[in-house]
This record gives sequence, structure tokens and C-alpha cells, in this order.
Amino acid sequence: MKKKFTDKDVLLKIRGLKIDGYSDETWIPIIKGVDLTLHRGEVMGLIGESGAGKSTIGAAAMGYARDGTRISEGSIEFDGMELTTASEGERRALRGSRIAYVAQSAAASFNPAHKIIDQHTEAPVHYRIQKRMEAQEDAMELYERLRLPNPQEIGFRYPHQVSGGQLQRAMTAMAMSCRPDLIIFDEPTTALDVTTQIEVLAAIRDIVDQFNTAAIYITHDLAVVAQMADTIKVLLKGEEVEEAPTKEMLDNPREDYTKSLWAVRSFKRDQKSRPTDGTQPVISVQNIDAAYTGGVKVLDDVSFDIYPGMTVAVVGESGSGKSTTARVITGLLPPTEGQVLFKGDPLPPRYQDRNRDQLRQAQMIYQMADTALNPKVQINEIIGRPAQFYSGLRGQALKQRVDELLDLIELEPARFYNRYPPELSGGQKQRIGIARALAAEPDFIICDEVTSALDQLVAEGILKLLDRLQRELGLAYMFITHDLATVRSIADEVVVMQHGKVVEQGPKDEMFKPPHHPYTDLLLSSVPEMDPDWLTTLLEERGGVDNIGDAADV
Amino acid sequence: MGDLAGLIAKRLGLGLVTLLVVSVLIFFAVELLPGDIAQAVLGQGATEETVAAMREQLGLDRPAPVRYFEWLAGAVTGDFGTSLVSGERVSSAIGTRFINTLFLAAYAAVIAVPISILLGIVVALLRNSLFDRVANVMTLTSISSPEFFLGYILILYLAVKTGMFPALANLRADMTFVELLHRTFLPALTLVLVVTAHMMRMTRAAIINLLASPYIEMARLKGTPPWKVIVRHALPNAWAPIINVVALNLAYLITGVVLVEVVFVYPGIGQLLVDAVAKRDFPIVQACCLIFAATFILLNLTADVGAILTNPRLRHPK
Amino acid sequence: MSNFVIGYYAALIAASCLAAYYQNRKVFMLLFSLTLVSFVLGIIGGVPALRGVTIFAGLLALAAGTSYAFREFLIQISKPGIAKELRTAPLTASFGMFVIFTYAIAGIFAPWIAPYGESEVIAQTFAPPDENLLLGADQLGRDIFSRIIYGARNSVGLALVATLLAFIMGALGGLLAAVKGGWFDQLMGRVADVIMSVPSLIFALLMLSIFGTSLIVIVIVVAVIYSPRVFRLTRAVAGNIVVMDYIEAAKLRGEGDWYLIRKEILPNSTAPLVAEFGLEFCFVFLLIAGLSFLGLGIQPPTADWGSMVRENATLISFGDITPLIPAAAIALLTVAVNFVVDWMLFRSSGLKEQ
Repeated sequence: MKKKFTDKDVLLKIRGLKIDGYSDETWIPIIKGVDLTLHRGEVMGLIGESGAGKSTIGAAAMGYARDGTRISEGSIEFDGMELTTASEGERRALRGSRIAYVAQSAAASFNPAHKIIDQHTEAPVHYRIQKRMEAQEDAMELYERLRLPNPQEIGFRYPHQVSGGQLQRAMTAMAMSCRPDLIIFDEPTTALDVTTQIEVLAAIRDIVDQFNTAAIYITHDLAVVAQMADTIKVLLKGEEVEEAPTKEMLDNPREDYTKSLWAVRSFKRDQKSRPTDGTQPVISVQNIDAAYTGGVKVLDDVSFDIYPGMTVAVVGESGSGKSTTARVITGLLPPTEGQVLFKGDPLPPRYQDRNRDQLRQAQMIYQMADTALNPKVQINEIIGRPAQFYSGLRGQALKQRVDELLDLIELEPARFYNRYPPELSGGQKQRIGIARALAAEPDFIICDEVTSALDQLVAEGILKLLDRLQRELGLAYMFITHDLATVRSIADEVVVMQHGKVVEQGPKDEMFKPPHHPYTDLLLSSVPEMDPDWLTTLLEERGGVDNIGDAADV
Repeated sequence: MGDLAGLIAKRLGLGLVTLLVVSVLIFFAVELLPGDIAQAVLGQGATEETVAAMREQLGLDRPAPVRYFEWLAGAVTGDFGTSLVSGERVSSAIGTRFINTLFLAAYAAVIAVPISILLGIVVALLRNSLFDRVANVMTLTSISSPEFFLGYILILYLAVKTGMFPALANLRADMTFVELLHRTFLPALTLVLVVTAHMMRMTRAAIINLLASPYIEMARLKGTPPWKVIVRHALPNAWAPIINVVALNLAYLITGVVLVEVVFVYPGIGQLLVDAVAKRDFPIVQACCLIFAATFILLNLTADVGAILTNPRLRHPK
Repeated sequence: MSNFVIGYYAALIAASCLAAYYQNRKVFMLLFSLTLVSFVLGIIGGVPALRGVTIFAGLLALAAGTSYAFREFLIQISKPGIAKELRTAPLTASFGMFVIFTYAIAGIFAPWIAPYGESEVIAQTFAPPDENLLLGADQLGRDIFSRIIYGARNSVGLALVATLLAFIMGALGGLLAAVKGGWFDQLMGRVADVIMSVPSLIFALLMLSIFGTSLIVIVIVVAVIYSPRVFRLTRAVAGNIVVMDYIEAAKLRGEGDWYLIRKEILPNSTAPLVAEFGLEFCFVFLLIAGLSFLGLGIQPPTADWGSMVRENATLISFGDITPLIPAAAIALLTVAVNFVVDWMLFRSSGLKEQ
């Protein structure tokens, strides 16, 4: 992985790049003067939070400004050619042949009307690099190198007939079709599950290595970028924070912002254990089966208990049934079999049949704060409504309660009382969501991926807040997440789910120590770690990569 | 492919059910008349005997469901009973007029469909340009104008003032095809103007919607030239929306045809329907309504089946 | 060559040069291509064609000027929030607002504006326009100008009432269907499908042939025909909102359907619903005008634009434009509403197209 780069190998040179975005009838700067130097064969990781401008820079490296953006200043020099002054035709001639692009969502970026291999051969045939048949042969070879199953045959399928992880590799193959000098990877694994992510990462890293292709790897995940990149550049709000070789960057970041990013994952609180005095669990899920209309069973004999004041993390990949379990507990999806007990008493299966007190007890905090708060309702009403609805508070008493709740979530009442959700930042919105749940004075809260849509610093703040509230109010949490780092930091007990079944459950410390159920093992080991050698070591441990994906990528 | 056939069969079945429900609606709406048909047709002044005689003649003494099935059975074989006013067979009154209406609609469609789809695509590609804005204002104006307004303007300028085309589109049996085209040009043009505007706007919207998809951006980032982006990447996915647009607008033609026929005194079933409504000649009204509704439903059906057939996800199931 | 022609070309060329000097590419291209087109037009159509172009350009400029001034006027008199929105209105939209405003004034104050009564016979049949009769007289010798003014009240009023009724039925149905879901949603959807599977004009004709052509029947029939359209749109808009987590949160809190509709859904769907109201009005207005034109809508002697076209239709074969005036009145209002709706739709769709 260690490579030395000299000045004469410079492939891409960006100087003083400024890009404007169009919003509210005016152009506002979104990239505020960024420099970037990329050598042949070098992989640079661009990391930063949402809104940092990573993708915009990636597109600009191809001389491409997305609709609603424009390059206002600076120079982009690709292999001696100035892209900002080149004609559209000249720039187009680079795309696909010398600079290629791999998009975040392969499913949306493949044209549904054509076979995968026909889309693959389009560029080489267009640039007259290869004849159609040669290009097809070459595609199959690339598919094989990227370890796609049935490389001879898979290309002749349509995109919707292939799974997400395989499609992402096929797209990487397509980017390789003309053996470009540079590939832009725009969050290629963000939409994938962790176990699928690993094989895509391994495939991308290998092929980039084999052809000595330079790459810009855009992601918000530090651990991922640590595996892929030779150099890391950190961005914040359209400006560069710092740049350094991967190892150096991980070991001693210079800037405070970078340090804080690195430190986020260190938050950890003490693990609690179940009460021994015979206290009943707040929520007891007993042998639940559930199915959506259409008949397919999505939950199969799910059971677990949540005790007062404890946090139970429910982990699993998409489709494992963790969110469905939450829907069963809240009564949105009545189970076909089994029951949910609240402090020993069964809850009616349908939420419509529950009384106010039962409804009050099961509160939700949602993943997307944007859709969880009505954009046209003021904060005081969002928080005040449950207090008014359940406790019958009115007038001054209600106002006082809202102020109290705002204090509790560390937002200044005077400033936020009359605001609307769209005026708030992501973290503030999530706090309002928490306050709304607290307003009902519940004993138990379901947190559905509450931190996964947030930037890491903000997410840490939310976790700390939830922890403090748990201590002060004695709340029990059911914490649905796919992020094991979050589990490590705040869970007391862990429930692992796969295909609608509970695979394994127990106290956190036991769960993070072997021996495990094979799926738990796969899941735990697939979560990227900050160590740059993690992927290499893991692949060696697993003994070759040919079979890793098959466990999860069905 | 079994999946696809199943979907289409399901859609056809649904169309048939809709048609049946609509026929029930058309038949029983008349039953809602205050009193009954005989009373309504003969008016308040009629004597008991004449009303009774007419009831007898129309078979109104039998229960409505029985008469409905007789009517439906007749309708399927092209027999809609006799006119209350002239005593003529409804089928012979409709016969050639239906052909005339179809001819007019087809005439308009043949001109309008290619022009509007082409223009729609061009406007979508040049979106937000001056040309697009002018086209937007013009199509909006055209859509907003009642058919009779456009019709009379055309009569005034192309018939009365310049005498290039005849103002009235009365047909004779011995006309040659070219004469026919010339004589029916103005009504066809009126329809073209309205439908083209609609179709252009809808095509534009469909294409613009499509151009925003990630796979179009991907094609651009692969260095595909603009014309190829449209032909190879956008068009294959645009068929479904375009077929939809065409069918919807052909269906729209049906409504437009009624007003245009009246303006140009064209001998089609629109005229017939309007006259029958004024004279309260119910068998003819029912027959015309059923024919219009059936055509409308058939076109919508075609659109849906077309959309299913051109959808790659459905054509190549997993 | 007449002075007019010389002046015409001189003005065009001078304007083109000015545009070129100030490097306004678009304006220059427009003006200069107009000059070139004029050469051809002048040779084919002679002076009248050029005069036509001048008049057309003048009218366009007048409309643009009026719209510009009217927009400024609206910005001045409205609150800051609304004023900011108004600033984004294109000239077509402010032209639309101006026309709607004019029609509203004409309709509300008809008895004071119109010089003669609605069905007052004051002249000979088809009397030509003069100082007293601005637009001449109709087939019974009534003042056409006065009848146009009254028509603004009758035709537009009736269409408004019908639209309102259609809207209340459709929107309420759509909101309830979205909130309740299940069989109620299915049933409403099927009913809407059936009504929409009969062409609207045909449906209206069928119903009018049965129930006669009284105003109340027209309003109800038209409302029934168009409410499924409103239903579908409302159902779609509300359908996008009910899947939001804040609706789920409210449902789980135990809130009733009415609270959900009033507090959670309606505030988030006003923009598309208002735009739909405008569109719906256009459809209803055109349908009623069509019915009146066929003699099956508003009955004489009530002044109504559709019937006025029908009553005076014979004049067209003498090259008289009288029947076009009420028809133009219909078209102008529909265009105006469509212009405003077009702008609102563009705003509410976000700037997706940008």
C-alpha cells in the first residue's frame, strides 16, 4: 500500500476551485477554494460530513457541473489539459475513456432498458478502443476479476435481475472498461449492508491496485476510507481542513476538527445488568410471528425482554425484521402469533384498541428527523401536543412544561419556542423528536436508527443526551441500529436478528467476545475499523475472498 | 412471460368490468327520471291512454333488470332499439355517422401525434430557453381556448375571409378522398390545435422527468454524446409515458369532437347525441354514450397495456 | 412606399443596432430576425401584414407593461412574505392576475358598469356598433357589451360554485381515503375510476338529458363529474404525507382522523391544492361554456358567454367577429388562470427542473 509519488506523476491538479450552487434565486458558494493534487496510481479519500461538498468536487474533477451548480473560479488540470476552459466536446471525450465514474446507487444508475453488458461495452465501442465482441470478452474478464458469480452469464441480465452488491461491482467493471487513468468513486458502498460492503470494498481495492488506476474515493465513513486510500483529505463546508497520508492522518491528526471526528467513536458508558430483585421487564416480546399483507412471514418466533433503565440494542441488516419488531410493539402491525407484555400485562395487538395510557408508554424516536416533524407546525406545538393530549395541560402550565422539556434537551426555550422545524439543524430536529417522546412521560422509548442520518459529531451529542436522560428519568430504550459502533458505546444488552429470527442475544460484553453464532461473527467482523490494515487482515483470516459474500449477498 | 400475460389479462378484465359498470350507469340513469320515460317524452299534457300505450310499446311494464340485460344483449350485437322521436332504428341512425366521427378523429390524430411528440421532445431538450417559454405560453393559450373559439377563428380567417377551405363540413357520398380531406380540414385542424398543445406539454413533462434520472447522468458521465443519450438511454424508457400521453389525448379527442362537429355542422355522432339530448330521445342518447364511453375505456386500456409491454422490468422478470 | 413602411423598418433596424451595441444577444437576435421575416411578410402580405405585426407587437408590449406595473402594484400593497413570493412571478403570471382581477371587478359590479340591462332590448337586430352600443346588438337587439359584463357574473359565478362543490367533495373524500386507508380507500378509488371512465362532456350530456337543464342540476352534475379528479389529486398528495413519520407519531399518540386532516395534512398540502383549484376551475368553466354553446347550459335570457356565441354564430359567415368576442372572453379568463397556475405549480414543485 505504501507508495511514493513524485511531482512528474501528477495526473490531476485542482487549484483554487470555487463552485456555486443555485438556491432561492441566487448563486451561493458551496466550494470555497479547494486545492487538490492527485498522482498516477494514487487513491485519495475525500471525507467530510454531509454538505461538505465532496460529491461536487468529485464531479468537477471530470469537468462536470451538475444541474444547478456552476464552476465559478479556479483551474482543473487533468494530465496537462485545462478542463475549465476546454470545450464541451473535449471534456466529453475524456469521460468514460480517461476519467470514469462510479455512482452511489448502482440500481438507479444502470439504465433499466438495457442489459448490463451492453451498457458496459458502450464506452469502449464508442471510443473505438475495442470491437463489440472484444469488449464483451473483456467485460467478462473484469467480472471475473471482481469476483462476480457466473462472469460469463451475469452481464446478459438486466439490472433489476441482479442484487445491489453485485450491481455495484458491475458498475466498477464498467468504469474500468476503457482502463481509465482516474476513477471517481462516489460513496459506492453507502447504500449496502456491512457484510455486502466488505466484498465490494475488497473488489474495488484489488482492481484499482491491479491496473494502477488513480482514484478519488468519496465517503463519510472514516473506517472505510482508511482501508481504501493512500492519502486522505478532510473537507468541512466546502473548505479543506487538512490532507495527509492515511497512516499519518489516523495516528496524529493536526486540526481540532479532524481530532474531534476521530474521537467520536470513543464515547462509551458503563454497562448495566438486569435487576436481580425480581422486577418485571418493561416490555416483554413473547414468541412474535408477523406478516405483511401478502403473506410473507417477516418475523418468526421473536422473543426478548427489556428491563427498566436498560438499553437493548437490536442489530441486523436491512430486511432482518428489526424495524418490523418495533411496529409490532407499537401496535402498527398486529402479530399473527405471540404477544407483547407491558409490565406484565398484555398490550392489545392493534394500536387503535389501546387506551391513552398504553399508547403513552410506547414512544418512538425516528431515524429521519425531517419526516418525523411536521414542517408546518411550530416547535411549541409539536412538543406541547402530547403534554396537552395525555396530561390535559393548558395555558401557562403547558407553556411551562414545554420550556422544561426544551431545557431537558439542551435547547434554549426562548429561542426555539416559536420556530418551525425546517429552520433547525439536523441535530436540533432530532432533539425536538426526543422532547416529543419525553412529553408523553413514557417508561420506554424505541429509538429507530436515531443517529444514522446524522453527522458523527452531532450523533455523539445525541447519544450523550439519551444516556443522560436515561440516568435522570430511568428510561428503558430499545435501540434499533445497524451500526455496531453505536452498540458498543451505549448498549447493555444486544439482540442480533437475521431474516426475521433472533439469532443470538445476551449482555453486550458477552456478545462482543467469541464464541458466537456464525452470523453474529460475520456481522461483527464486517464492521470496518479504523486500522488501515483491517481489511487485509480480515481477508487473510477468512481465507480468501471467494466465498465471503455468498453468506450475505443472496 | 407468464407474469406479463397475467398482468395484461388482469388489466383487460378490469377494463371489461369498468365497461359493464358504465353500461349499468348509463342504463339506470334513465330510470332515475321523474315518472318514467313515456311520461317524460310525452310531457304533462298527454292523456292516460297515450302514456299507457307508449309504456306498452317500450315494454316498461317489465322489471328494469330484465330490460337492462335485453338492452345489453342488443348493444353487443349492434342493436340499440328504435328512436323515440323518428321511430328509426338507432343502429341505422348511428351507422355512417360513427364512421364519419372516427374518420375525423383519425384525421386529426394522424397530424397531431407525430408533430406533438416531436415538438414535445424538442421543447424538453431546449427547456428554459426562449423557444421553450414561447411554446409554453402558446400551448397554454391553445389549451385554454374552447374548441368553438378556435373553430370560429379558423372559419373566419381560412373560410370567410380567404375562402381557402369550406366553412361547413357537410359530406356527400360521391366525394373523392382528396375532396373529403379538403372539406374536413378545418374541423380536423381545430382538433389538432387543442390536442397538440396537450400532448406537447405532457410529452415535455415526461421527458424532463426522465432526464433527471441517475442513469441519464451516468450516461453523460460515460461520455455519451447528447443525441445518443436521448436515443439510446432516454427513449427506450420514455415509451410508456409517451404511449400514455397519446392514448389520453386520443380519448380527449372524443370529447372535443362533439363541439367541433356542432361548429362545423359535421354529420358525426356528436351532432346526433346533442340533437338527441335536446329532443330527449333516450335510446339514441344511451347508444351514443355507450359508444363514446367504450372508445374512451378502450383507449385507456391500450395505454395501460402498452405501458406494461414496454416496461423492461416486467418484460424481463427475475 | 408609404411613410409607415419606412418608419417600420427604420425603427426595427435602429432597435436591432441598439441591442447589438449593448451586447444583448437575445434581444438582438429577436429583433433582427423579425426584420428579416418582415421583408418576406411585406412582399407577400403588403402593408396590411406589416400593420398586423405592428399592432400585435404593440398589444404584446401593452400587455407586458400592464403586467409589470400590476406586479409592482401587488408587491407594494402586500405583506413582506407574500411580496417576496410575488417578485418571482413571471410577467405571464402577473398578466393572469391582472385579468382575473379585472373579471372579478366586472362580475361584482356588473349592474353599475353595464350601460344597459341584462335582457333589455334597446336596438334593432344585429345593430352595428356605434357610440351607445360599444359592440353592437345581438339577434334580439340587446347590447352585447352589457351582456358580456353580466356574463362575467353568470358564467364565472356558476363555474365557481360548481368548482367549489367539486372541490369540497373531492378533497374531503381524498383526505379521508388517505387517512382511513383500507376498504374505504379502495371503494372511493373504484368509484372515482368509474366516473372518470366516461368522458366528462358525454357524462354531462347524459345527465342533463335526464334531469333537464336547471342551474342546480348543472352545478351538481358538473361537480360530480369533476370531483374524482380532485379526489385523485388530493389522495395522491395526502398519500405522500400520511407515510411521513410525524403522521405515524400522531396516530400512535391516539389522535383522531379529523385532527390528522386538519393539523397534520392540510397545512402541508395547500400549495398543490390551490393550484389544482385553478386547473379545476378551467376545466369546469370550459365544460359549462361548451354545454351552453350546445344550448344545454345556462338558459336564455340570462346572459352567458357560451350561449352568446351560439346565438350570434350565424354572423361569422358574414365575416363579423361578434360571436368571437364572448368566446374570447372565455379563452382570456382560462388563459389567465392557467398562467397563474403554471407559475404556482412551478413554485410548488420546488426548483426541480433547474
